[in-house]
Amino acid sequence: MENTVIKINNLVKRYGDLIALDHLELEIKQGEIFGLLGPNGSGKTTTINCLLSLLAFDKGDIEIFGKKMTPVSYDIKKEIGVIMQNVTVFDELTVYENIDYFCGLYINDKAKRKQYVEDAIKFVELGDFRKFYPKKLSGGLLRRLNIACGIAHKPKLIILDEPTVAVDPQSRNRILEGIQELNKNGATVIYTSHYMEEVEQICTRIAIMDKGKKIAEGTKDELKRMIKNTETITIEILDIPENILKEISGLPHVYDTDLSNGKLTVCCSGGKHNLTRVLDVLQRNELSFGRVYTELPTLNDVFLEITGTALRDKEE
Amino acid sequence: MQVFKAMFKVMRSRLPSAMIYVVCFVVISAIIANASTNDNKFEAKRLDISIFDEDDTPESHALAEIIKKSNDIVEIEKDKDTILDSLYYRRIDYALIINKGYADKLRAGETAELFSSYHLDESFSVVYMGQFLDEYVSTVKAYLNMGKSFDEAAASAEQALSQNAKVNMLSRIDKGGNSHFSVDFAGYFQYMPYILISIIISVVSLVLVTMNRKDIRFRTNCSCLKESKYTAQLFIGSFVFVFFIWLVFMIFGAILNREMYTGRAWLAVLNSFIFAIVVATMAVLVASFEPKDNVLNLITQVLGLGMSFFCGIFIPVEVLGDGVLSAARFLPAYWYVKANNMIADITPYSFSEVVECYLIQLGFAAAMIIITLLVRKVKYSGAAISTAVKKKALTH
Repeated sequence: MENTVIKINNLVKRYGDLIALDHLELEIKQGEIFGLLGPNGSGKTTTINCLLSLLAFDKGDIEIFGKKMTPVSYDIKKEIGVIMQNVTVFDELTVYENIDYFCGLYINDKAKRKQYVEDAIKFVELGDFRKFYPKKLSGGLLRRLNIACGIAHKPKLIILDEPTVAVDPQSRNRILEGIQELNKNGATVIYTSHYMEEVEQICTRIAIMDKGKKIAEGTKDELKRMIKNTETITIEILDIPENILKEISGLPHVYDTDLSNGKLTVCCSGGKHNLTRVLDVLQRNELSFGRVYTELPTLNDVFLEITGTALRDKEE
Repeated sequence: MQVFKAMFKVMRSRLPSAMIYVVCFVVISAIIANASTNDNKFEAKRLDISIFDEDDTPESHALAEIIKKSNDIVEIEKDKDTILDSLYYRRIDYALIINKGYADKLRAGETAELFSSYHLDESFSVVYMGQFLDEYVSTVKAYLNMGKSFDEAAASAEQALSQNAKVNMLSRIDKGGNSHFSVDFAGYFQYMPYILISIIISVVSLVLVTMNRKDIRFRTNCSCLKESKYTAQLFIGSFVFVFFIWLVFMIFGAILNREMYTGRAWLAVLNSFIFAIVVATMAVLVASFEPKDNVLNLITQVLGLGMSFFCGIFIPVEVLGDGVLSAARFLPAYWYVKANNMIADITPYSFSEVVECYLIQLGFAAAMIIITLLVRKVKYSGAAISTAVKKKALTH
């Protein structure tokens, strides 16, 4: 039976008139990589801050490892690793000294700490940079250092708050692989991001947040099943007569069509062979067309359908 | 003791500039101390003098001989240009011409136009030689009036003028009992506040600003290190640094003074320690405003130089105006300097007043701690953090 690591009940956080968290309910099981997905300002970081007792909240309660979380729950904090959104390191300390400092906040035994710091350096592949000062590191290496500082003490629960912001693709992939590796080694992970591809890639379960509310929760497949769209077909075509467009709209499982900017978009809900049927209509009517591609629904589609706004639009 | 150790690692970045302050202060103090040591050995000044004896009598020879004993005679050609050149190039300090008829006039009791001279206007040598010749002539004249022969009068005058007074330099005078706090030593302690302010504020404030950076503090609060332990380690780290710096200056002070502190000097040591504590609380207060690096440097200079000029550190209190001194009373350095001056006997000494100065300085320290706590309460209260987070949320 899966153990519950985090349980958030009816959490409310207000800043005056602004409701940052609106009766939030979450339950995270042991061994999960739980994704908190939402645009900036949706309440992800506030949730994390409340979770870590960095912020007082107005209502509700939080349990971690079956115990109520308070600012003085040091026995719980001992098992949590935190990787903040901003790189939180000392500019005056070297890579090694930074990891040693943050690891030392949890591990007093000097020999054990030394081993843990070495493990963390190896894990984030910063061995060649151990004597470097943070100012000499690139953005990607800095993020890796930030992660090393958060996981060096080998916590059971790791909270990563947007750890890949402003990171190059190569470093991003390395970070994501690392998170999966930590999870394989037994850590439960909470991962917040507004990059849906990342969340889709690594998270075993996802909660989508908007305006302080949890608007959907489940595995990525469960989330995608919540929406009507199962397939979007796009065909490059200059023009289609009205009657043919009507014929395509009338095909089985097609619930929406759109012709604009030289592209025909056909949205389908369920069914099989949707593409074949659409192409068959075009060929029968001897209409020439260019590239054809189909897309499965993304979390952005889920967000779009539930909120009426695209995740990416919100970012902008 | 992770936080304690991290503090000293953070300090590394500021140590070079702190060391510059220490080295400059110690070197300047050493130079002043050595200069003062030479001043302590009193020696009568010998002038370079050229004598042109136009009278050429036993009396004039006797005078020349007396002058030779306490001055160095430089032989130069008796030519006006040569004499003036020699004066200009400082080969001689004074050119004395014993006029013809010197002996006759002196025997007759006349003192006018006995000598002519070439000299630099308003120079020390003019006063010195003028006084010497006046004294010699009036003494010889006095002995002649007493009925002595000229030879006897000249011999008696020479004997009278060769008497040297014993000179003790003030800086080496013991203050009584086993107390020993010289004026030179007081000077070392007088300049110390500027250095203590410069080093302690620039280093301790910087470290505290870094250690209390909001993200670092948040990150540390996520750990299992208790808040009280974190604060305690910051306090211990700051105190250890302040104590170390103060101790370094005390050791250098003892080395420069070439003896261990005794008697009243201990009061000055205590005074400087109390001031170091005051500066440490000042550094904590400055750090609570979380200034940026360049602003911190500015604050350090304003506090250091401001107190130095207003409170009698760089400029003696005696020359400061009443208005300035009235304002300076609201600064701790004023009470430090006041106590230091009393201990050094520059102003009348009163033990109770020295203690009063200590207590006032400690009062400043207490006031700064209270203000710091208030600032921190406002800055780190839930409301302030909430406002900051709200602003961030609204900007997105």
